[in-house]
Order: sequence, then C-alpha cells, then structure tokens
Amino acid sequence: MVMAMNDTIMEIRGVSKTFDRVVHALDNVSISISKNEILGVVGENGAGKSTLMKILVGVYSPDSGEWYYKGERIPFPKNPKEAAKRGISIVYQEKGVIPSLKVYQFLFLGNEDKYVKLSKLNIDKLKKHAREILEEFHVKCNIENFMYELPLSTQKMVEIARAILSVRLEHEVDDVTSVIILDEPTAPLTIEERKDLFNELLHMKKNASFIFVSHIIPEVMEFTDRIHVLRDGKMIAHYDLSKERVTEEGLFKAIVGKESVEIISKPEITEALSEDVVLKVKNLTKKGSYYDISFELCKGECIGIFGPTGSGKSEIVNTIAGLLNFDEGALIVKGKEVKPNERPHVRLAKGIGYFSGETGKELFLNWSIAKNISIVNIRKVLRKFIPVFNFSAEKKMAERIVKQLSIKTPSVNAECYALSGGSKQKVSVGKWFERSPVILMLEDPTIGIDVGARNDIYDSTIEMKNRGIAMILISDDPKEYSLLCDKILFIKHGRIQKVINNEKFKQEMFE
Amino acid sequence: MKNLNRKTSIPSIIMQAIKIYPVIFVLIAFVVIFSSLYPQRFLTLLNLTAIIRQFVSLMLFAAGPSIVVVTGSLDLSYVGIWMLGGILVWLLQPFLGMYSILVIPILGLVTGFLIGIIHAKAKMPSFILTLSLLVIYSGLTATIAGGIPRTVKGYDFITADLIRGVPTPFLWAIPIIIAAIYIVKRTRMGIYLYSIGSNEEGAKLAGINVDRYKILAFTISGLFSGIGSVIIFQHHGGSVPVALNLNTVVYPLVAIVLGGTLLIGGSGGPHRTILGALTFTVLIRGLNISFLDPTMIQLIVGLLLIASIIASSRGVRGVTVT
Repeated sequence: MVMAMNDTIMEIRGVSKTFDRVVHALDNVSISISKNEILGVVGENGAGKSTLMKILVGVYSPDSGEWYYKGERIPFPKNPKEAAKRGISIVYQEKGVIPSLKVYQFLFLGNEDKYVKLSKLNIDKLKKHAREILEEFHVKCNIENFMYELPLSTQKMVEIARAILSVRLEHEVDDVTSVIILDEPTAPLTIEERKDLFNELLHMKKNASFIFVSHIIPEVMEFTDRIHVLRDGKMIAHYDLSKERVTEEGLFKAIVGKESVEIISKPEITEALSEDVVLKVKNLTKKGSYYDISFELCKGECIGIFGPTGSGKSEIVNTIAGLLNFDEGALIVKGKEVKPNERPHVRLAKGIGYFSGETGKELFLNWSIAKNISIVNIRKVLRKFIPVFNFSAEKKMAERIVKQLSIKTPSVNAECYALSGGSKQKVSVGKWFERSPVILMLEDPTIGIDVGARNDIYDSTIEMKNRGIAMILISDDPKEYSLLCDKILFIKHGRIQKVINNEKFKQEMFE
Repeated sequence: MKNLNRKTSIPSIIMQAIKIYPVIFVLIAFVVIFSSLYPQRFLTLLNLTAIIRQFVSLMLFAAGPSIVVVTGSLDLSYVGIWMLGGILVWLLQPFLGMYSILVIPILGLVTGFLIGIIHAKAKMPSFILTLSLLVIYSGLTATIAGGIPRTVKGYDFITADLIRGVPTPFLWAIPIIIAAIYIVKRTRMGIYLYSIGSNEEGAKLAGINVDRYKILAFTISGLFSGIGSVIIFQHHGGSVPVALNLNTVVYPLVAIVLGGTLLIGGSGGPHRTILGALTFTVLIRGLNISFLDPTMIQLIVGLLLIASIIASSRGVRGVTVT
C-alpha cells in the first residue's frame, strides 16, 4: 500500500465471515481509512458491503482477521458502544430517524447522561451544544423543530452529526477523528437533495472521515477519494482517485464482473402500439397535489410521468391505483368511469395493479417466494371445484417466475427476508408479471437495487409491455424513462408542462 | 412443504417435528416429570380422561381466536359468548324449546361480526375492544341470571356416549379443530389472513380487501367460539357461571402462545394451538395433583405465559414457524 501510514486511523486485514458455515459473506477483505478522507465501498447487493460495515461497528464478529489501530494490533469491537470508543459510528440506510423527537432531543438520544445534573436533564446546555454542533457542520435547521418536519436531506445530516457527536461524547474531547459509515445514504433522497447532502459532506470532511457505501456509480466517483470494490465477498479492486483515472464504465465492469454492459443500449421497443385506449384520465384534480391532468393510455403503451419529488407524480399514480382519492375530473378504465373513493382491491379487480419498489412495502418477508407470488395470483393456485390450495401448481408457477427473472435462491420455498435486495424486488415484479393486469403502475421499480437485478427487471418489464400490459412509470432515474416509456409527461407543481416522445426525451436528457 | 430433501427415517422425522414444534420438548418434559413424581396418580386412566376433557374445553375456546391471532389481532370474547349464550338459552327455552341452543352459535356469529366491523372500520384495537365486550357480556349474563347460576336440562344428547371410554366432547372437537385448520391452511381466506398479519400495507397493495377479511376472521372466530361453547355448555352440565373467571380467559391465550403462534400475527395458527393446549393441560393436571396450593398454580400460569411470549417473539434458533 502506498499510503502514508501516519495518516491511517484504522486498518483491518484479512477479514472473513461466513454465515451458518456455508455462505461466504466476506473472504479475506482488507481496508484502511485515513484522516479526512471519504472512502467509497461499492458492490452489488449481496456483495458483502453491509456485512463488512456491521463488522466495523461491532454488530457481527468476524471468523478471522486482524484490526490495527495506529499500527498496533487490537481485537475487534464487540458492540457498537466499543466501536464508538474507537471513533467509529454508522448511519443506517433507513429507519435511523425518530420522527416524533425534536432535533436537539434526537441529537443527544442515548447520550443524555452527559448532561444530567442531579438526575435532572440540563436542557439549556443540551440545546446550546446542539446549536453549536449543527453550526459547525453547516446544518441549517431549527433545533426546536420535530425531525419529521425537516427535509429528508437535512434529516440525514442531523443523523450524521449525531453519529459524530456520539463518538466525541464517548471520548469527551472534540478533536478525536471520527469515522462515520454512511450506508447507502442517498437511497431515499431525490437528485437535488443528494447534491445538498454531498456539498455538506465535503464540508464535514475537514472534521471526520467517512466510509461511503453505495452502488450509485457517478456519486461514488464524484465524492470519494478512494474506492474499494467488493464482489461476492471478495475485494476485487481498489482505486485511488487522486492517482489514477477511472471511467464509469470501468468501475461498473468491476462491480458486476461482466464484460457486456448494456444498461443504456437495450433492444428498442419496436412493437406497434395498438389504438385500444385502456385508461383515459380527464382533468383529474386533487387539490394540493395535482391539477387538470389529462392523458390517454393505450394497450401495450408505457407513459412516464417525469418531475421532481413533490411535483405530484407519485400522487397521480397512487390515485389511479386507488390509494388516494381525487377531487375532480374522471378516470375511465376500459370505457367505464370509476368512482373516486374505490380502494385498491376494487381497482385491481378492474385490472389496475400497483407496484412500488420501496423495500418491504409489498413483500411478506416471513413468507416463501412461492407464497409471495401466489398472493396476487390466487385463482391460479386454487383447485377448480373446491377452493383448496394446489401446492404443486403454486410451486410450478413460482419456479417459472424464478427462472424467468433469474432470482438467485436455493428453492422457491426459501423465505424472502433471506434474499438480497435485488432478488426481493424481482419477487415483487414476478408476481405482477404472472398476474398480467391490464394496467400496471410502476413507482420507482428499481430503487435501491444493483445494476444486474435492474437489467433483469427491465427485461421482464419490457416483456410485459410487449404482451400488451399498459404501464405508467414514475422514477428518479431518467435512464429508466428512456428505456421503458413511449411517451413522457413532464410535470411541475402538479401540472403537465409538456408531453414528448421517447426520442425527444433522450435528446433532451442525454445530449 | 418446508423442506424438500426431507428424510423419511423415523428418527429424522422426529427431529424435524421437534425442530418445527419445539413445544413437543416441553410436553415430553412435563409428562416425564409428573409421571416420575406421581407415578400412582398421574399415569392413570382417570387422570388421562381428565386431561382429555380439559384439553377439549381449552381447544374449543382457543380454536376461533387462533384464527384471529394470525391476522395480528386478538379476540378475547369467547368466554363472553359462552356465558351470555348459555344464559340466553335458559331465558329463551320456554319460548323456543329445544331450538334455543342455537342461540349460542348465532350469538357467536353476530358478536364476531360486530367486533370485526368496529375493529376494521373504527380502527379500534382488538384487544381493548374484545376485552370491553367480554366485560359487557359477563355483566349482561349476571343481570339476566339475577346473580344465580341457572341450569338448563334436555341437551344431554350432545355429550351422550358415542364410543365407550372416549369423552364425546372430544369427538365433537375433532371436526371443529380440523375445520379451523382447514380454513387457515388450505383456503384463499387463510393466505389472506396470514398476509394481513405479516404486512398489512402489502396485503392492501396486493389487492386484498383487508377490512373484509378482518371482519371475516372475527366472524368465523365468533362462530367457532359459539359452536365450541355449545359443547362446553353441556360439558359443564348445561349451566354457565355468572361471574367472570379470569382463568377461563387466560388459559386459551396461554395455549395459543405456548403452541408457538406469534401474537404479532403472520404465522402460526390453530394447528399449533393443539400442541400448546395439550402441553398446557398436562401441566395444569400435573400441578393439580401436586402438593401445590391452587393459588400457586395461577402464579405459575402467569409466568409461563410471559416466558412463552418471550420465547416465541425472540424466536428459538433454528425453528421454523409455519
């Protein structure tokens, strides 16, 4: 390693970890982190990123490996508290925030004992420190606000500040260098929010080091100093961005380990669109969310609604799926007008399915893959005369889907919580694939999953489209629109700005 | 269904069974302990019949609620249905004659439907809702009965001997339990109930009418409690108590939890309750013939309930709850 040793805060060497003595989650992995740097750790889902991070913060203990601190060998931390003593803290991908707490309460949560005077909390001192620390990290928010009132990116920043703070309080000094692990910090954020977060992170770099876990390649390339690539539990590559140049393509290849990288050059959707209108939206309005939305959706057509978060795109899709009411206008499905207050099961009976990529929203995690697929295809797995389950039919159906979407699993009876993020998503897509509704809503279909799984999901989405399923897509990723949509509606402040076709969209977005 | 390469040798089948139903261990332990402590009194025909009789009452009460627990809710109304139903039979017999016994299952059905509607539409937590209903029903029972237990005659045929030596209520319980298991394990409704308990949002997104199936679960639970109550009613000689006994409420709950059904829903069900009820009955019988004071038994039951809830919510390593 070329790095100057005196700057190294910590180093781990040859870490291996297996689960149940079978799955090799990590195999001989070494990383080190220096002062004031952002270290990127990238890899597909299931590559072992999360396991590695959990070892660093003492949630898991490794099977083998060594930990060096300032050149001296010490044991691995046994719990997060011990890790914090060494200056390591983690900000998890989601569910780290407690929305009903005020900012200053959340900042010091778990560390209040440092502010106790005769069993009474010294609130004034607490608030003063909270203001100081937020100022130091350029986090602009009122400490009296509740966490849920803050924008998502600010919430993330408060979480990061909290992580640094917990390290400092553990040492009771201000100048300890903390290593903060950020596990996919941008997953819930929009494009603008991501930029804000990164600008703040670059500020914070003066006071702390970061390990940035992600699979969004451009982000990692732009904001990290060095990058480690994990694949199947092994450290595949290491790039020092200050010394060498790496292309996005090169990094992508290292991550997926395939030479054929075809993310943007999918086969064109050549099938002629039929003129059957399956969904007609007329002057649809929901006050406060969207106004005067009108469009027609044909059989086998995919319409994208493109706009920033908060533009009303997600509300429109939710309305069509029956999750929200509308105030004015009309929704006409296959020539019949539907009532505003119908619930999702009524809409599904009329042929409108809704798929959301949000983790765990659709899946029954304690169920087998087979059951998760049959839940929306229940008619296909019931016997004809008596409504009894036909388990072999269920299994056959699930096996077909697993093969079709190349879901990595030992059997269709495997429980879903054990699957990787990408495979989970594929199971959710698979059930709709089998169901074949007339119209399918896609909300962020590939959010938070790796490139390989993405491609498989795009393939099956295009096949669904070719089968004649009409779709409406909303997403944060412009590439997804250019891949799947025939027509894109631009929406801003709840109103349609313009409608363009796929060709023009590509020109506008990528050239 | 769970394991594809299941071996067929007898020891491995036993191993599989213990892996899925760890309560078998507890059951065997109880049997061994009590039969070695009281060899003259525990392993007798008399005691075994008593165990079966208690097991039947427990199971008939627990069958319906086991279905509700799968959806992540709780139904405590069974004792209320039994008490109020019993006293209504006494009240209505002069007018309806023999048919008045049907009032119990009808009351169960109506009660369950009512609970379901209020729980699903008014979003009232099922625990507090069914508990209040239980209190209301026991109050109504005492009022109608005038505070004295009333006995109804003429329904001896329900528990008349069919097979010598086998308690008839036990025979009645078999089809009822099978029906309950069938509903949750083999029908569309069953999978929908599990889905609601496992991930309600997901169930909604999968196009399931969540409210309707919640109401159905409570209605069916009420019906099961009603039918079970008919048998228990006659089992107790055609009378019901007019004062609420906490044990009758708690015991079925212990049976459900001990069987390994999580109270948060999404797994378990009546098939697990069978083992739970059996284990619990063996314990109660064993404690009854022991030197312990009855008040001590209550203490042990309470501790057992807590212990089994902890064990089931933490999950026993390597155990699959189906």
